Amino acid sequence: MQASWKPRLAELVGPDNFSDAVIDLVSYSSDASEHSIRPQAVVWPTNVEQVRSVVLLANELGFPLYPRGAGTGLSGMATPSTDGLVLDLARMRRIIDISIQDRVAVVEPGVVYADLDNALAPHGYFFPPDPGSSKVCTLGGNVATNAGGVKGAKYGTTRDYVLGLSLVLGDGREMKVGGRNIKSVSGYDLTRLMVGSEGTLGVLTEIILKINPKPTATATALAVFDKLEDAGGAIVGVMSSGILPSVLEILGRETLQAINQNTELNLPEVDAMLLCETDGFTQAEADYQMERVVEQFQANRARSVRQATAAEEVADLWQARKSAYAVLARLKPNFVLEDVTVPISQVVNMLAGVQEIAGRHQVSIATFGHAGDGNLHPQVLWDAAEPGETERVEKAVDELFALAIELGGTLTGEHGIGLSKAAYMGLEHGSAAMETMRNLKRSCDPNNILNPGKMALDG
Amino acid sequence: MSEKHPLLATFRDQIQRCSRCGFCQAHCPVFGTSLRPALNARGKMLLLKEVLEGSLELNEELVESLFQCTTCASCTVNCPSGVDVPTIIKAARKEMVGLGACHPAFVAMDQVLEQNPNIYAEDEPGDFEAPRGKQAEVVYFMGCVGQYREEEATEAALEVLGHLGVDYTLIDEVCCSGVLEDVGFDIKPALAAKNLELILATGAETLVTGCPYCFRTFNNKQIYAPLKEAGVEILHLSQFLANRDLGVITDQVVTYHDPCDLGRHTGIYAEPRRTIQTLAPNFVELPHHHADALCCGAGGGVRGAFAKNSLDMARRRLAEVDQVGAEVVLTECNSCVHNLANAKLRAQKFRVLTTAQFIAELID
Repeated sequence: MQASWKPRLAELVGPDNFSDAVIDLVSYSSDASEHSIRPQAVVWPTNVEQVRSVVLLANELGFPLYPRGAGTGLSGMATPSTDGLVLDLARMRRIIDISIQDRVAVVEPGVVYADLDNALAPHGYFFPPDPGSSKVCTLGGNVATNAGGVKGAKYGTTRDYVLGLSLVLGDGREMKVGGRNIKSVSGYDLTRLMVGSEGTLGVLTEIILKINPKPTATATALAVFDKLEDAGGAIVGVMSSGILPSVLEILGRETLQAINQNTELNLPEVDAMLLCETDGFTQAEADYQMERVVEQFQANRARSVRQATAAEEVADLWQARKSAYAVLARLKPNFVLEDVTVPISQVVNMLAGVQEIAGRHQVSIATFGHAGDGNLHPQVLWDAAEPGETERVEKAVDELFALAIELGGTLTGEHGIGLSKAAYMGLEHGSAAMETMRNLKRSCDPNNILNPGKMALDG
Repeated sequence: MSEKHPLLATFRDQIQRCSRCGFCQAHCPVFGTSLRPALNARGKMLLLKEVLEGSLELNEELVESLFQCTTCASCTVNCPSGVDVPTIIKAARKEMVGLGACHPAFVAMDQVLEQNPNIYAEDEPGDFEAPRGKQAEVVYFMGCVGQYREEEATEAALEVLGHLGVDYTLIDEVCCSGVLEDVGFDIKPALAAKNLELILATGAETLVTGCPYCFRTFNNKQIYAPLKEAGVEILHLSQFLANRDLGVITDQVVTYHDPCDLGRHTGIYAEPRRTIQTLAPNFVELPHHHADALCCGAGGGVRGAFAKNSLDMARRRLAEVDQVGAEVVLTECNSCVHNLANAKLRAQKFRVLTTAQFIAELID
């Protein structure tokens, strides 16, 4: 960045909302992914006009902009790909409106997910996607990455709740798409296009979300299966039994072993553990659904099934699943958490394939994930200091993606493409689809200012 | 390979284990106030990772981040990768001081304790109208804040001890100087020796501190090991008062702020609550409590060096007191009381007291 940019930026957003201090540049060099490149400066805009003026200046002087929420993304969507300016939207964090009558919440992009959840709770409402980083992640980040979570099977992902958006496009034009209507078929669905666009088309400045009444009752059950095929049968059985569980999670054998080696939980070291939650507005409603789930567990030869409704017992059942990420994160110095997703009927084939790949390349991969929506989290663990290990991991990850596509799946169910998976886009998307995406990018951001290098859209 | 930063290098594995998930942002009081990732634990670990890799100098440009941490440990208790951030920050600060990079407020702190027996360079200690330097079963250690800034809290603690008929004495105490370890320097051996001599001379079996930080220093620092070797039991006032019949009760709505040094760092959550809930049955928890408690913003030298952010952190905590509708917020740390009381807005009608102050009031 030329030195002359910086005073102009500081003037646009105010000196307190601009920094080129080395501590800020380093802290914005990465997100939760493995990528790391220092930007040249950061701005914290506080209103739409500041966002627009920064985007216009970037176009005038030709520097890249990297919009950012809480930086919890796992694919390098918020990290710089080259020189440029980080646009941290954390200081635009007003909850503008909560309307139970209209069933919407209107927020600025920097509002933290948990803060909206807390604001909705007194009304008996919630915003369902519930990503794993809900205490930290921002709603702008959720929309830009189409974040999902454990409740995807029944409640979908962020995309299913975004009704309208205000943005500043890459060329500086302001655009409003959608609105406060639960239904609208007016024109192309640009709202849906923007959700998950990873900050490559526009910078979000306002978000209108659909909200749901929050179920007041839940039932929980945990089942263990000696054989992976039986767990697979149970997953398909539950998901086609006529009810939709609010949560259906799976933990594979390697994950159970790792948890046992590092906690006092003493889990059975079987092929798979399934954890299921049903919900409703009466206990009878939740229990009825859970009866259907347990029938399927038993019909598929579960070794044991435990059920709970009291809060303490439920927390007990959840312990293994909740500890999975942290236990695995501590096993080796390096890890990458993938999120390949396959049709529900293929979950077991994917799990088996992951272990076959891990064995062949001698890398450690432990898998858990959201069985109810086919979204699996193979956590690849390694030590970059070990000669040759990083290369073996790269090969294994290549094959992991190829297998997911072969099974009719997708590269990413909820973490996004960013930098990490940009090179694999061609595996999943044909040339017409890639060309359409690139054309859309050019029409919104002709100078390729916004988040260049992400999603394989350059060129 | 010779290490450029040998002390920091002992934490290499921990620093590399930070997976950059950013979950600490939900809990870091400095981030909550500044919304600046450079001041959050993840930002600090990224800086230190680059320092160890050699792509960043450990110089004064890093002071604003690495010296702006209250060492409250809320990041650590919530870290999926188990990174012990406060311990790493303290090591980094020591390395930085060795290289001549330090916040001036902390340099001053070290110099003050080089030349004075207390952190405020005060030369007129109050006498608190209490026995001093006598043979007694209990020594009550006031701490610098208790002696020179929150005198009323100390008077109240002594009144409660007297009410219970405890055979106690004060000593001509000097600063435990534990805080220097947090801000890049070392405990002053001369100060420690003086405290050891005076405490042991009383023949006391129990040392009760009003300050959770002094409590940690006496318990955990090697230089104070002779206390335990002489069989002296070290207790915080809240432990000493737990399970005692105070004979008072009130219907006021009371809440409790967990001091980081007593809670997350020491695991003392139950004892203060037992005392408070007995005398104030209308007890309510703050939205963040126990291991999730928000820091008051005073710790780790932040109050002295970054006063504005420190007060902002206290205000965030006080907003929670408003939220639960308490008439009184109690805590067990003079430093927390000091910062919270300073930050309290006129419109906020609740009171900020130590538990001992509240008990003394009810006794009166």
